[in-house]
Amino acid sequence: MKRLIFAFTLVLGMMGCKEVFEAPPQALLLATFYNSATNQPMSPVVTAQGVGNENLMMDELSSNNVLFPLTITDTTRFIIWLDSTADSITFIHEGTQKLASVEKGFYFEYKLHSVAFTQNRIDSVRIVDSLVTTKWNENIKLYIGAVPDSVN
Amino acid sequence: MKILSFISALCLIASISFGQPEQEKKLKPKRTDQYIHMKGIRFGVDVTRPFQDLWTKGNRYGTEFSADMEIWPNMFPVFETGYERLILKTPYIDYSSNGSYSRIGMDYNFLEAKTDTDRDILFVGLRYGFAFARQQVNQYTIDSYWGQINGNFDNQSYTGHWGEILLGIKGEIFHNFYMGWTIRGKVKLSAKSLTPPLYFIPGYGKAEKGFNLDFTYSLYYNIPWDFRKAASDQKKEAKERDKG
Repeated sequence: MKRLIFAFTLVLGMMGCKEVFEAPPQALLLATFYNSATNQPMSPVVTAQGVGNENLMMDELSSNNVLFPLTITDTTRFIIWLDSTADSITFIHEGTQKLASVEKGFYFEYKLHSVAFTQNRIDSVRIVDSLVTTKWNENIKLYIGAVPDSVN
Repeated sequence: MKILSFISALCLIASISFGQPEQEKKLKPKRTDQYIHMKGIRFGVDVTRPFQDLWTKGNRYGTEFSADMEIWPNMFPVFETGYERLILKTPYIDYSSNGSYSRIGMDYNFLEAKTDTDRDILFVGLRYGFAFARQQVNQYTIDSYWGQINGNFDNQSYTGHWGEILLGIKGEIFHNFYMGWTIRGKVKLSAKSLTPPLYFIPGYGKAEKGFNLDFTYSLYYNIPWDFRKAASDQKKEAKERDKG
């Protein structure tokens, strides 16, 4: 009888556990850095900020890639500092709203049409995969040139 | 998480129960008599429906009533009807669904009555269920670096159909008062395709799943009106009048 009471108490306790709901996934554009001279991956010190947003996405982090969050409008613009040299990069894209599940909620996926950029440090850009999904696979390769003389 | 907790707790209770010293089993022989034992119609209320919130995800509540009668020996046609409401509120979505459902089917009793007054039954049953319901996404939120995007979906009406196979017992606890439980396997037959997709079908459960398992516990009252006797008495009276 004692064991039965214990079991029922345990059942009631376990039923009272708080439900946990996962956050919906995010589709982010993954850009990877390559040395334009050697075509080898490289890790500059990166600071990145969206134009129109006061918050920095990355703040002086040494990294070989950046995950860019796109907006639901068709153009998203960022300022990116690579070893303290600033460039702007603009993505032209279209977004589609998706449902992860009713429990998780909604998110956006994107189709990347083109990329425009300044060439202070960025040498060239190649689109590898134009579909920006929640898998975060490499979407663009950013080829980085040498640090300009003015910075040195 | 709640479902997992519930299942593991049930397993624990089962293991404790199996650990008890085995009592002498008294199995009733299979019922082969061809007599109607339950007179009249039995009405029931499922006492588990208002408390589904305890073992299901989201806030799920409902009521369910049933009616059955032994129309042929050991055969009980059944009608069940109810209403359910589910509210799912997370930081990302505020979803609600509600609607009514009905099931029709048949139970078959395996137990043989020991006496004329023994009405306990162990049965298997089949059901066809259908629901009329509507869902609404009152608000959803998409969070990102660029801020929050909010939206909503208006009321959407839908129907759902499913089949059930069940095993259960009904025992007479007092004169004409019964209680019993069923374990039900539910197979989805069809449901409307919507955006956002259906999450919940009243009476069935999670619409995302093709198969759902459910448990009910009900209390019943048998209205002791012997309609067959009343009908045969009327016939007799009519015949006597004709003869007269």
